[in-house]
This record gives sequence, C-alpha cells and structure tokens, in this order.
Amino acid sequence: MLPDELKFKLREMIAGAESPREKAIDVMFAIQELQGWMSDEAMVEAAELLGMTPLELEELATFYDYIYRSPVGRYVIKVCDSTVCWLQGHQRVIDYISSRLSIPMGGTSADGLFTLLPVCCIGYCDRAPAMVVNNRVFGNLTPEKIDRVLTQLAEKADFSGSE
Amino acid sequence: MPRLIIDEREIEVPEGTKVIDAAQRLGIVIPRFCYHEALGSVGACRMCAVKFLQGPFKGVQMSCMIDARDGMVVSTTDEEAVLFRKRVIELLMMNHPLDCPVCDEGGQCLLQDETVSGGHGRRRFRGPKRTYRDQYLGPYIKHEMNRCIHCYRCARFYQEFAGYRDLGPLRIGDRMYFGRFSDGSLESPFSGNLVDICPTGVYTDTTARFKLRRWELERSPSLCNQCSLGCNTAANAHHRGVMRVEARFNSEVNGYFLCDAGRFGFSYSNGGTGHRERPLSPRIAGAPASAHAALTAAREALDNIAAKYGPRAIAAAGSHRNSFESQCMLDLICRTRDWRGPVFFWGPEDRRKTLSAVEGLDGEIAVSMREIEKADFVIVVGADPLNEAPMGALALRQAARKNAPVVTIDPRPIFLPCGFEHFPAAPEKIERYLGMLVWKAVEKDAARFGKDAEEFCRYLAAECESCEPPAAMARLSQLLASCSRPAIICGTDVTLQTTPAFAADCVRLLRLAGKQAGLFFLLPGAGSFGSALLSGTDDKTFADLVEDIEAGRVRALVVGESDPFHHYPDRARLESAMSKLELLVAIDYFPSETVRRASFFYPSSTIFETGSTYINQEGRVQFAHPVHCGGVPIRGGEHPPRVYSDLVPGGDHLPAWKALWQIAGTPDKDAGPGGISPEKFIPAALPAFDGLKAGHGYPVDGPRLLTAKAGFQGKWERASADARTGPENPEAFELLMVEWMFGTSEFSAWSDSLDAAAAAPHMSMNSKDAARIGLCDGDTVSVELDGGAFEIVVSVSDRTAEGVLVIPRHHSFEWRKMKDSPARVSAEKIRKI
Repeated sequence: MLPDELKFKLREMIAGAESPREKAIDVMFAIQELQGWMSDEAMVEAAELLGMTPLELEELATFYDYIYRSPVGRYVIKVCDSTVCWLQGHQRVIDYISSRLSIPMGGTSADGLFTLLPVCCIGYCDRAPAMVVNNRVFGNLTPEKIDRVLTQLAEKADFSGSE
Repeated sequence: MPRLIIDEREIEVPEGTKVIDAAQRLGIVIPRFCYHEALGSVGACRMCAVKFLQGPFKGVQMSCMIDARDGMVVSTTDEEAVLFRKRVIELLMMNHPLDCPVCDEGGQCLLQDETVSGGHGRRRFRGPKRTYRDQYLGPYIKHEMNRCIHCYRCARFYQEFAGYRDLGPLRIGDRMYFGRFSDGSLESPFSGNLVDICPTGVYTDTTARFKLRRWELERSPSLCNQCSLGCNTAANAHHRGVMRVEARFNSEVNGYFLCDAGRFGFSYSNGGTGHRERPLSPRIAGAPASAHAALTAAREALDNIAAKYGPRAIAAAGSHRNSFESQCMLDLICRTRDWRGPVFFWGPEDRRKTLSAVEGLDGEIAVSMREIEKADFVIVVGADPLNEAPMGALALRQAARKNAPVVTIDPRPIFLPCGFEHFPAAPEKIERYLGMLVWKAVEKDAARFGKDAEEFCRYLAAECESCEPPAAMARLSQLLASCSRPAIICGTDVTLQTTPAFAADCVRLLRLAGKQAGLFFLLPGAGSFGSALLSGTDDKTFADLVEDIEAGRVRALVVGESDPFHHYPDRARLESAMSKLELLVAIDYFPSETVRRASFFYPSSTIFETGSTYINQEGRVQFAHPVHCGGVPIRGGEHPPRVYSDLVPGGDHLPAWKALWQIAGTPDKDAGPGGISPEKFIPAALPAFDGLKAGHGYPVDGPRLLTAKAGFQGKWERASADARTGPENPEAFELLMVEWMFGTSEFSAWSDSLDAAAAAPHMSMNSKDAARIGLCDGDTVSVELDGGAFEIVVSVSDRTAEGVLVIPRHHSFEWRKMKDSPARVSAEKIRKI
C-alpha cells in the first residue's frame, strides 16, 4: 500500500498533466524514491492512479534501466559497459567491486547497501572507465577511488531513514 | 494504378499496395514475420528484404514498407537480398529452442517455412539460449515464450487491432517478453487469434494441445453458426472428432479473425469423455434403437396421429440454428403433408422483429462487416455487439481507430473495445434518441427530401419538439451531419417490434441527405435470416403451438434441431403442455431436455458432418462443407465396439433434413429417400435460389438475397403510440433477458470448452433504481416472478438504463419463470438476501 501522503502528491502531479500517462515515469520515480523499488503492489496502485492497466505500466517499467522491479540496495552502482569504458577496462572495475562487496553482477550486498548493475553509455567517455551511483557520476576509476567512494557511502548511510 | 516488375514479371496494382502484396498477387510469397495484411507494416523483422533494381528506391529494402510505384523493378532472388534474408533468419533462430517435434505449431509454422526458405540450416552461435518462464493465460491459450522471435504480431493484434490492454511487450533487447502483468486468463474474447497470427508456437490452442499433427487433419471450409454473422472458419477433424477451428479469410465478412466463442465452441459436436454426452444413437422411448427401427417407428406413429386426428394435429418446429436445408425441408413437409407450421420463432415479437429487419434491408443500404470498418460514424441501437455478434465489435473498433465516432443507444451497460459514447435508453426510448440524433443532423436539408420522407420528417420533428435531448446529443448530431459514410447497427433482441424498421428509415433519411449510409442488423441466430425468408404470413410462432397443444388441436410435435426448454420463458407451462402431447419426435445433436423427453429421437449431423447453407444477417448465402463423417471419437471416448461391423460407431446420424424427410414418410407421388436433394427442394421453397447450386455452386463471397429497394417502412407511428401510453405500472421494472458471449447460448450449454470462459450471471440495474430500492453493487437478491423466484447477484451501474433489469439467459440458473414476455417486476418483488 502506498502511503496516503504520497498518493496525494502523485494525484496532484498527474492532475497537472495534459494526459495522465505522460507522468508514468515521474510517478514511478517518486514511488522508488520512497520505497526503493517498484513492488507488484506499487505497480498496480500506480497504474490505477495513471488510468493505465498494470501491463501497460509494466511495459514502461521493464523497458527502462532505472526502474527497479526487484529490491535493490540503498546505493545502486552502475558500471558503464559501453565502448570507451570497455576499452578502458570496465571489466576490471566490475571485478574489483564484485570482490570488494562479495556480490556478482546484479547482486545486492549482504548489508543491503549496494547493488551492482551495468549501464549503457553515460557520456563520460573522456573520463572512462566510469560508473553512476544513484544520481552521482564518478570517472577515471581506479581501485583506490572506488574504495574511497564506497567507504564514504557506507559511512554516510544512516539507517534511521534520512541521509 | 502503378505498374511494376517483380522477378521479371509485370503487374499493375491499386494505389497504396505494398510491394510485398503486389508480389503475392503474382504468386510470389516474400518471407515475412511482422507483416500481416490486417495489422499493416512496421518493418521490424527485416525478413521481407528484396532488392530494388530500378525506380525511386534502390538497393535492399523492406518490401512491406514500400508502396508499389510506376517503374519499379524488384528482384526477390537477387543474391544480396537472399543473403540478407539468410542472415536475418539465422539471427532470429539464435534463441529458438528447435522443439518442433513437441510443438503443436509444427507442420503449420511460418518460422519453419521461412527458415527453410531463407536457407538457414546450421547454428553457428555457440552461446547459451535465452529462456523464459511461461504464464498461465486461461483455458484457451498456452504460452511458450522460449519459441518467440519478437515479431510483435501478438501485441499489435491484441492491443491495436482488438483493443484489449492486458497482453503486451515487456522488457528490452533479447530479453523481450510478450505476456501479461501476472498469470491469469486473457481478458480479450478474441484471444484465439493469437494462435493464428503467431508465426511460431508461442501461443497454441490449449484445447487441441498434443492431440494432433497438422498433416493428419481432415480440413474443410466451414462456417460458424453461433451467431448471425456467419464468420468463415476452417474446421479440422481427426479420428472422428473436431479438433480445432481456425479463422478462414473472407474479405467481406470476418476478415482474418474469429471470436473465441466461434473458435472454441465446437466441443458439443464431439461425443465421448471430455465433453458432455452427445446423443449419437437413435432412441425409441429413451431406449437405443437401430436407425431403421427408429425412423420407421416414428413414421408409423406420426401416420397414426394423422389418421386419428388429421394431419393438422401434427406440428413442426425448427429454430435459428437450423441450416437452410433443414428449414426448407420443414417447410416442404408442412406444405405437402398439411402439418401445422413450421414455426421457427419463440414468440410473435421475435418473429416480427426479424421479419421487419429482413424486409427493411435492401441491396442499396445493407453493409457488410468490412464496410462497417470503413464507416466514419457508427450508431449502435438496441444492440450489444460484443455479446450478440462479437466480430461486429471488432469491426466497430476498426472504424473507431480511424476516428469514427461510435454512439450506442441501449438499455444495457454496453462495453466495446474502443472509445464510444453510450446513451442508456430503455427499449421504448431507443427510437426517440436515434430519431433525435439523426433528425438534428439532417434537419437543414429536409425540404429537399421529397414526398416519401415527408411524413417521417414531420414525425421526427414533432418527437424532437416533445422532449429535451440528452446532453452531448447535439454535438454528436453535428458530427453526424458532417460525416459521409455513417452506418447504423440495429439489434433485434431487446428492441421494440418497430425499431428495426425505424432504423432502416433513419438510414434512408441519411441517404436522402447525401450520405452513403448503411444498415447492419444483428439477428438472433445463424438461421434467422433463412427462417424469416420462409416464414409465411400466418404469423405463427412457438407460443401459438403451445396454445394449440393445450387446446388439444396439436397431438404430435416434430422438433428439428430446436430445444424449446432452453428458450421458452415459462418452463412450468411448457412442461405441462409437452406432457399433453401424445407424440414428441426430436431430431438434434444436443442432449437437450427436449431430446430426453422425446418418444422418438433421431441424432442429426452437426455443421461439421454435413453440408449446410446459412444466410447471414446481411442476406449473404454461404455454405459450410462437411469436414468428417462424425461418430464416436476414437480419442477420449469408450473403446469402439468389439463387434465386427462395416458401420462407423455412432455414425447413424443424418442431416436433419434427411431425417425429417424419412420421418415424414415419403408420399407415393414423391421419389424415394434418394430422390430428394437440396439442389431441388431449396429453389422450390425459395425461387431466389434458382440457378444457385448448393455447396460448391455458391459464389465465393456468397450472393446476397436482398430486395432491390425496400423504401420507407413507415411503422413508426405505432411505436410512438405504444411508447406514449406506457406500462400499466410505471414503477415496475422491465425484465430484459439478454445474450452473453459465453454462458447463454445452447452451444454454450453443451460445450465444455465454452463453459470454461463463462462468467457467473449477474443482473445489471441503474444506480438510481438500486438506491431507490436499497440495493448495492454485489448484493444477492431474490427476484420473484409469476412462476417463482430466482436468485442473482446485482451489478449496479450508471450506464444501465433506468427502469430495466438486465439479466442474461444464463444456463446456470432457472430464469424461465415468466408468464408474460416481456415481463415486468415491481420493486417489492426484489428482495435482498
């Protein structure tokens, strides 16, 4: 069940649109921001708010990389696997993160903090290899830099709710 | 008309023809997956690549994306194009499981054909194949996603063409998945078409699963006889059972598709386990008898009645599911033997409505389903296309997709798979609303309509004066005024007697206003048009026969493919009348109550076992060829008898007309049983059939039996008078008994395959009415009628007309407790329980 407060906000957001379904992605992002991912229940409720069938919303949700249909960690690490990063050794980056966090590609760390996923070109080719963590981009990755970023994020994580 | 050269052969095609279709006209079938004539081009699969050598395009291009133009020179065999296609099919086959030996599609699989035609034989890719989890999609369709080649045909048919929103493309890249949000029955009643259009075995027919291989099947061009549209089908039989029904292309009728009731509603014809028992053995007083004994005994019993009480003591009844052969035979017998009848209609209202529809339709205004798709404004009056003629709803959607406004005027809470404007209207208000809508659109031109229309115009003007039109009506009238090809779809079930003629007059008025207006009726059954053509002027229906039986004027009843117990609204009265009969002879293929009670029963052949002529609701004569001889199916039934015989077990059934002819007794002056054939007795009953040889002799698209020009019907005065006097008790609800796509027809009652899709019955009523008598959506009520009560769940909607209770003639509960028809029930007779 979506909280009433969120539902109210979403209804307002949808009411401002010319046609409800154009807000589908924004609605899913808003829900994800709160709940971390799009559960089946959230999908059904969001579809109802948008006047879409769950299937129609699912078509969108499963098309986009940034909408999660299964639970992810607090930080989603996306390593670019497009041409330039690939040339610059993206596999080494993936291997390093995998072993540091003890998770395979697609996995979530035991503490629930990190999920590792691939991503298509993010336009950071001049600073390859690169990765995105939630909404922040990091380039020129080296093991030391990755260590620094992950340690910072782990320390910053506040389990009471807000960051 | 562009002329182009394809593979060194010249062809001229209509403007707008795609190169892929132009080639097909030359007999060159260019490989394709995503392209389908009904769905149009998307150019997604890249399989139809050809090389353009000269003309406005050059090089390898997709033949489904390019319109044929003058001066084009196209090669389908050019080396570059052939190699292109070979690579494409190799790519598409990369993840295909190659499970053809266990796949139901094997042998009729486009993917198999195109793999071979593309020249791909050896898999080079060594990686693992992608696999999926399949979904449960309901009783009809089996999902097998691993076989998918991502052509999108299913999603395009399901969402764009048919208008349902619960199956579609999910995920991305090579993980693309076609399915639902979660497991569950497909909502679309056109889901069976997925089996036909999927180029491989992702969607296969669950009812036929693992029972057959395509090459073992006996196949024949057949028809669907479950509603009045007469959709064309291909019937497939194996081991004396019908295994599968597929859509057969007919450009004017059903196009490429078929509804699920028509596709899966054949299991009644198969005896044996898995289906309810089809009576395949002749019976005398309930006990099995030989064919000869049953026919002879029935004939003698009838002769005795005729000798004792005179031939008028024998009556014959047919129905709307009779083939035209059977109807003509009933007519012939009654004429030559002086029996009473035949009656084909249940009550005088049904009869008059169907007759006035058939009389009001002429060659000028009648439109086919294809023309409905091309209409630019459609008015649906007193008709529920999705339930009464499902493929009609699909045609409506095609019109709506081209932005034709669709207006429904009906007491039921209509649903259509397209956008439409619904005016809830009790039956007596339907004509008024239709009149307003049409009159406001043509009013300004009325002066030049001439004398014929004068009176009708005056009447409509007066009607419009007398009451306020519903909101939105004025806007729709304006749209109607500006359209050029409007069509009216008029039902004959819940409408008043006068409505079909009124609708025909409205179409004529629109034509006077310069529009190519068309008329499309929905009739009660596949045989309705034929029975109307044969119904004489005596105005007799089954209701009169019941009176005749009660009064002792009729002592014997011969029923040919008809079950009064299914249709007659007063079961108690029917039971007592039937028990008064000295003799009841039934000929049928359903194990009906009438068959159970018959003193003599003879099994008749289904549409799959005998050639049958049907005339659809637009007067189109079509023929269903037999597909197999019938009998006890080898699969799924008992072991065939272990006695030596050269007869087919359960093969005693005869076409109803033959059985009738033999039971009626051949008078000396006629030739023997062999001497009669439909080619002779059909033209004798209806001269319009002169020169039409039954079966193979009909033209492919079916000749249409319509009068040249019918003119204004002018029956509206009486309608207005009826409507104004109103019912005696205006507070009472009118009970409207209606058809559902699944659950109400006789086919539904005796086909397990249809029963699987039938929803539980519910009664629809307007929300104001419900509030007035204290009912909520979902309440269970007891409705007390003159002949007893029944219980039903209430469904409340603003979209149901006020003052009516809409109830399906569902076979799962006994609703036949009405002394009058249409019945009325006052509020205090509806109790919440």
